[in-house]
Amino acid sequence: MAKYLISRIAQAALVLWAAFTVAFILLQVLPGDAVMIKFESPDLGLSASQIAEIRSAYAVDQPLIVQYGKALGNTLTGQLGYSIQQGVTVGELLRTNLPPTLRLASLGFVLAVTLAVGIAFLANLTPFGWLRAGLQAVPALFVSVPVFWLGIVLIQVISFRLRWVSVIAPGEIEGLILPTITLAVPISAPLAQVLLRSIDAVQTQNFVSVARAKGASAAHVLWAHVARNAILPVLTIAGVLLGELLAGAVVTETVFGLNGLGSMTRDAVSSQDVSVLQALVVLSAAVFVVVNLAVDLLYPVLDPRLRRRFEVGP
Amino acid sequence: MFAFRPRRSLLLATALFGSVCAASAPSWGQTPIEGGTLIYLEQQAHTNLYPPAGGFYPNGGVLNQITDKLTYQDPKTLEIQPWIAESWTVNPENTEFTFKLRPGVTFSDGSKLDAASVAKNYDTFGLGDREKHLPVSEVINNYDHSEVIDPLTVKFFFKKPSPGFLQGTSVIGSGLVSLATLAHSYEELGKATAIIGSGPFVVVSEVLGKQLELVKRKDYAWGPKLLAHQGPAHLDGIKYIITSEDSVRIGSLLAGQADFIRQVQAYDEPQVVAQKFPIYAAPTKGVNDGISFRPDNALVADLKVRQALLHAVNAKEIVGTLFSANYPVARSVVAETAAGFVDLSGKLTYDPALSAKLLDEAGWKLGADGVREKDGQKLALASHISLPQPQNKSVLQLVAQQWAKIGVQYTLLSGSPGVVISDNLDASKTPVFVVEVGRADPDVIKSEFYPTNRDALLQKGGLSKKPVTFVDPVLNGKLEAIAAETDRVRRLALTGDVQAYLLDQAYEIPIFEEPQVFAGAPYVKDVAFEAVGRPSFYSVWLDKH
Repeated sequence: MAKYLISRIAQAALVLWAAFTVAFILLQVLPGDAVMIKFESPDLGLSASQIAEIRSAYAVDQPLIVQYGKALGNTLTGQLGYSIQQGVTVGELLRTNLPPTLRLASLGFVLAVTLAVGIAFLANLTPFGWLRAGLQAVPALFVSVPVFWLGIVLIQVISFRLRWVSVIAPGEIEGLILPTITLAVPISAPLAQVLLRSIDAVQTQNFVSVARAKGASAAHVLWAHVARNAILPVLTIAGVLLGELLAGAVVTETVFGLNGLGSMTRDAVSSQDVSVLQALVVLSAAVFVVVNLAVDLLYPVLDPRLRRRFEVGP
Repeated sequence: MFAFRPRRSLLLATALFGSVCAASAPSWGQTPIEGGTLIYLEQQAHTNLYPPAGGFYPNGGVLNQITDKLTYQDPKTLEIQPWIAESWTVNPENTEFTFKLRPGVTFSDGSKLDAASVAKNYDTFGLGDREKHLPVSEVINNYDHSEVIDPLTVKFFFKKPSPGFLQGTSVIGSGLVSLATLAHSYEELGKATAIIGSGPFVVVSEVLGKQLELVKRKDYAWGPKLLAHQGPAHLDGIKYIITSEDSVRIGSLLAGQADFIRQVQAYDEPQVVAQKFPIYAAPTKGVNDGISFRPDNALVADLKVRQALLHAVNAKEIVGTLFSANYPVARSVVAETAAGFVDLSGKLTYDPALSAKLLDEAGWKLGADGVREKDGQKLALASHISLPQPQNKSVLQLVAQQWAKIGVQYTLLSGSPGVVISDNLDASKTPVFVVEVGRADPDVIKSEFYPTNRDALLQKGGLSKKPVTFVDPVLNGKLEAIAAETDRVRRLALTGDVQAYLLDQAYEIPIFEEPQVFAGAPYVKDVAFEAVGRPSFYSVWLDKH
């Protein structure tokens, strides 16, 4: 087990380094840079020599390999650098923007799981064929709803027409309701789809028939016997969906005018703010790595058969 | 100018009045109600609040509430009036300006606004600060040095006559800030709380890129004397909330969640008007929204070609298709409300037959694909879209359709912000460029076209190192003359002259006068705008609602 963990952590470090390096190269390949975008705009009317001076002050005129070495060294020691566009340290940007996104993303994820489980269970337990068919079509509907459109429709209907919640300067909880729904709906779709399928697959297995033959109710069988086995593929897809969650946050935060990693990413991309983007890439990569590691480690906890395999060999 | 637009005739009447002021819903002599917080929705977050960076509207919208200026430009008459400076004298050569300051003015950190602090402000704006990356202000030309005569008298010296300087002391980019603010580097001035001014409001909190909270200064007693309202602001505070989505800004206003919003597109105006909410279209009084040519590119080096392109643009059709009555069709390089405007609509006629004739004469023959050719080269032009300009993509698409009719191909480029900036400095990639600057002084034309200012035509020796051939000493001489002419009447005459020259040379095609369009709730009273359309919330009050 310890050996497995060490190899996974080494893998994770490699992934992080690769993400950092690829991001660095891609950002350098893009024409122009943040200093150019900020200072060479004709509105400022800076002369070529003034611009050259600014470029050297920001050290963007140094050879790429030197810049890369510095950036890597700084990142390793936790110095994330300075946002050229916003004029504050990347650390401060993260401190402002990470908590709201974490809150939104976790609430969105919880709601997405609730929706998915609700749809799957209801579809399995309902005695009405038409309802079952209807519920099974929901994931296809949800996945085709563009986040942007959903957000605007929710705002127009719930906030502007019905006036149930406010989107401008709302209360702490009030302000999270619509963005959470907006983020959760498209994420819940693949979860529900996979859960529906895997419940169907598990239902056909022998141990389910045995449980039924013993006289267990449909709900008991579903909960105690099927669900636990059906959850594994869902867990895998949940790890992958984390990326969706971040992408969804970009759009949701823009539509609702929230601050967070999403809007921070959008601004950094549009101004090619390299230090900010590097920090965001490394952060997202780290989250991915950690979540997928957690998912892998959860498999044997949930499924004893996997645990045995673990003990026998790699 | 605001328009409720109950009837079209009324609208036309308002439009005909020429120098429309940016007054708000009139309060008909009501006594202002004190208190309340104004919720103001901005489309974009501010980028930097170093005052000379205030040209960007989101920056200026904040700076206008928290800083005061030496002088106040009356938005109606464009005359320069006292503000922090009680009086001033100028030597006949316009190289020395002496200002007497109002006593008892303080910055919000408690420090005194005196001759020493004003001198430091102008030394920084006029010369820049290399170490702190603080750039030179676009409105201060030929600055040499300052001298503190006594605690309330400061004198500025210029290397060359600088008649534009007096107006320059009234603009958003000349907002006075405390010494503590000037001790920061340019990068650190992105934080609004670092900006300590002497204005009627103070920034108390900021959520980066999302929200600003301003509260009024209870001891504020130095507003421009010309204003009816004196003393502290009526509002307790202002909350700026960045709401980038157009439909959310307008919906929030109409649903009563916000009080005042910036940037209402022409196509959204009807739904605001339908609910009897006032629209405020503040003119920007500068170089009109239009396109310029870069003659360094051989395709547009020939005067005949440029003239053909000019007469092939139907500005009336563009405005009629895309905009509202708040966007007057351009009649010269600068707006009708700009200083020194001369009506040159006679030079801007739409005449595609003339265009075709001019192109034939210049040797451009129609090819099989409908695009004109000469020596195997196609008459194919390109430019980038300018995001800050209203509906710029649609405007340029219409221009492309109009040019296609005379056999000219015009492509709209797209790319990352870095690509846009480097392409815009390269005439071979962008023979066409989008122009617009707001500033209520004849110097605005120089700001747009002079090689070391915005250099819209990309001249050799200007901002870009790319141009190899094109330089127009006649134009540059005319622009320098405006900047140096000390006689007001002669200065306006020179301004008219350079407008005619730009159009005779067909360097530029003005399309429409660009307003800043805001909308407010009916109970928001006495909104005012500075000379180029940034809102001032100093006199604003909220009626019962």
